[in-house]
Amino acid sequence: MDTSNPAVLVNAELLRMYVGRKVRTVVQVIQSDGEITTGKSTDERQLIIKGLPDVSPMSHVEVIGIAESEQSIRAEIWTNFGHTFDTQSYNQLCQLANGEFIGLFM
Amino acid sequence: MYGSQFDGSAAFSGGGFMPSQATQAPDSSFSPSKNRDIQSLLPLTVKQINEAFLSSEDKSNFTIDGVDVNNVTLVGMVCNRTGRVTDVTFILDDGTGRVECNKWVQESVDSNEVEGILDGMYVRVHGHLKGFLGKRSLNVFSIRPVSDFNEIASHFIDCIYVHIYNTRLRKPQGGVTTQPQIANSSSTPLKGYQAAPPNQFSGQHNVDGQKSIEQMVLDFLQLPSSNVDEKGVHCNVIANQLRVSADKLMLAIQNLVEEGLIYSTTDDFHFKSTING
Repeated sequence: MDTSNPAVLVNAELLRMYVGRKVRTVVQVIQSDGEITTGKSTDERQLIIKGLPDVSPMSHVEVIGIAESEQSIRAEIWTNFGHTFDTQSYNQLCQLANGEFIGLFM
Repeated sequence: MYGSQFDGSAAFSGGGFMPSQATQAPDSSFSPSKNRDIQSLLPLTVKQINEAFLSSEDKSNFTIDGVDVNNVTLVGMVCNRTGRVTDVTFILDDGTGRVECNKWVQESVDSNEVEGILDGMYVRVHGHLKGFLGKRSLNVFSIRPVSDFNEIASHFIDCIYVHIYNTRLRKPQGGVTTQPQIANSSSTPLKGYQAAPPNQFSGQHNVDGQKSIEQMVLDFLQLPSSNVDEKGVHCNVIANQLRVSADKLMLAIQNLVEEGLIYSTTDDFHFKSTING
């Protein structure tokens, strides 16, 4: 995270609230062709990630970057989370971190 | 004054004070956040660290959610790793903020630990939170790379759980909050015998009605009319006014004298209140 702004934990539904801001999320790669990567968010929706290198499909990738639109993120930092990742827990964490316990995170 | 007459102390303390004093000690030990022998490990986000309160100016100890912060654990990404001969410093960024970390390297086990830690890596750190001139930093005891990335989500969920536990589930010992009031009253009985509160206590101890007679006598002697005469009031007058038997009255007067609330004046039958007298 190059800038000092904290990155908001989001899923696809929460992404629309933070357009223009630095966000972080985990997607499962569906398809990647050069510049554009299509991924499945933790709440089962499609997201577009820009700026990722080729990543093997079905692996989970954490993306930290700027939300360019309600459905796309321009990646600045990415980390391969492998094939075994609990998307359900992460999804619930996103909801808690943006809801009742937002004070612990932002 | 309390110790000389066992009956007196039993009459005042038996019903409510003794049990409350007896339970005060165990209650105070049930607040582990204040017990220095118990040091907790808190999973935290950097945001929580940045918002921690300094518990007092001379100590450099922090408080989060009402709990003393000693050892903490965090999960985040390593940035700006700088290795020197004796230590390694880096910034830990967990997405909620950034905190400076320092790991002293003295033995080979330490240098092995930090050797594989590179910028951009997710790590789990354990350390001690320090504050210096308002700036927070972490003295790291242990650092290791995260291998299963579920640990990141798990750590944040842990932070939420401990936050809930410390703010809601750790009961603030309801009994303790009321004990000090009783303790204060027992040590300052003069205050205890004014207006409403003492009536509650006298109601508690009203086993044989003796206490209420004492209260009535005291109230009577505190009336302005009782204090017109420097001699005070003759006990027969008190008995007539309050319609109590002489035996019960004398016992009540004796107890009140023991407590220092009334005193005899010209002879053993005239009494005055020590408070409004």
